[in-house]
Amino acid sequence: MSGLFQVPWSDYQSDLIDALWRTVSYTVVSFVGAVLLGLAVALLRLSKAWPARAVAALYTEVFKNIPLLAIIFLAYFGLASAGLRLDVFTAGCLSLVVFYAAYLSEIFRSAISGVHAGQTEAGEALGLGKAGIFGHVILPQAVRLALPGTNTMLVDLLKSTSLLVTISAAELMSEGRLITSATFRALEVYLVISAVYFALCYPLSQLLLLLERKVRAGVPLSPWRRRRVRAAHVLLAADLGAGADRKEATV
Amino acid sequence: MTEPVTTAQTTAKTTEPAPPTTEAVVRIEGLCKSFDGRLVLDHVNLEVDRGRIVSVIGQSGGGKTTLMRCVNLLERPDQGTIEVAGKVVHQDGRMVCRDLPGLRRTVGMVFQRFNLFPHITAVENVVLAQRKAGVAEPEALERAVALLRRVGVAHRALALPDQLSGGEQQRVAIARALALRPEVLLFDEPTSSLDPEATREVLSVMRELAEEGMTMLLVTHELPFAREVSDHVVFVDGGRIVEEGRPQDVLETPAQARTREFLATYGATS
Repeated sequence: MSGLFQVPWSDYQSDLIDALWRTVSYTVVSFVGAVLLGLAVALLRLSKAWPARAVAALYTEVFKNIPLLAIIFLAYFGLASAGLRLDVFTAGCLSLVVFYAAYLSEIFRSAISGVHAGQTEAGEALGLGKAGIFGHVILPQAVRLALPGTNTMLVDLLKSTSLLVTISAAELMSEGRLITSATFRALEVYLVISAVYFALCYPLSQLLLLLERKVRAGVPLSPWRRRRVRAAHVLLAADLGAGADRKEATV
Repeated sequence: MTEPVTTAQTTAKTTEPAPPTTEAVVRIEGLCKSFDGRLVLDHVNLEVDRGRIVSVIGQSGGGKTTLMRCVNLLERPDQGTIEVAGKVVHQDGRMVCRDLPGLRRTVGMVFQRFNLFPHITAVENVVLAQRKAGVAEPEALERAVALLRRVGVAHRALALPDQLSGGEQQRVAIARALALRPEVLLFDEPTSSLDPEATREVLSVMRELAEEGMTMLLVTHELPFAREVSDHVVFVDGGRIVEEGRPQDVLETPAQARTREFLATYGATS
């Protein structure tokens, strides 16, 4: 063991924590951006107006068929040579956002159109407006459908932040490279860096699986739904306890 | 063309005093609708007076469901006038209604395939539209619970739709439609996807609503039930009203050959 582990890790502790924080920041900012842009592209793709659909389709196809690394280079070096100099964090996040938004838009589109048409009709027949139908009927069901794919993308995005090593983004992988060049202990360093990625991704994906299961089981997660179900429970105490058909009770 | 439904006093509900008015909650005149150039409804007239139950019967694809869906404008007619609760809402292919959600709250609808919201519990299904209509949370919840009791599914109120039987789902759907205190309820083949036991449950709820004086427009294949609860029966075929009148007349001594043919195929033995 002592043969393999010779890097003075305690010297690098605070640098590693900074790098970890940087990786998490890239992940969170890019994922939020990618979800928002992905949702916008999905909605454009489902629009009635064909130009909107065409723009959205073009976007999706372009960014799905270019390697992420090429996008990163374009955003950081390419735009800089054209006079638009982005800082590393902005260029890194922008690349991840445009790349993952393309995939997420496909997931969201199929989830939204996967909600049965009868659901919209039921919402209409109940006098819910367009926004009400989307927010209370379509979106929650689409989230349920989109969750597995979206979760996979989140973990994938976290791992892809390591590609930002190519623009020295000061995240985990870049830190690993720095430590390696100082210690020449590539095997040890990259094993440790990999272990850190694993320690981030594994619990995250397990947590997301748990979330998926809860959502599929219809467990009320939002505070207002919880409050409503709890209040209903109180009102229904007699009915739920008896378990019997109480039709006569209120006629 | 349309005869006001004034003959209904002679039907099963003679014990109650006849409703004082014959005010039409739904009035349809000269309704035409086509899909992709195919005429589905051809100058149809129909009236549903307050407290009355009108059943529309006929073969699948004959336009009955489209006719019903025009009432709350889930389908937009090409021609004709639709009047709901005294207000013209659609005329000559133009939307006159300024408040579509308001119209739809006036008209409750129950679908063949229930269309409950699968991601929330039964009781939440009944609460949702009430909240959007501005009812306060405690009142909305109390009303939802009372309605679920009334249709006999209160003990399943916290189950998700998937966990309910078909009959239970349809009864929750009826409670959901009633939650907004509609002036008329539309039933679109409410028992067509149910087994006989579930059909019996749902029909018994509808019978109670009928006895309470709910105004209902019903598209159905349950001819014995239509015979029992309706004040007026309309036979639609090929987009036209072929025959209409008192249920005993239309269903037992139909005047038109086409009606007799239909009744023979559907084996109305009542």
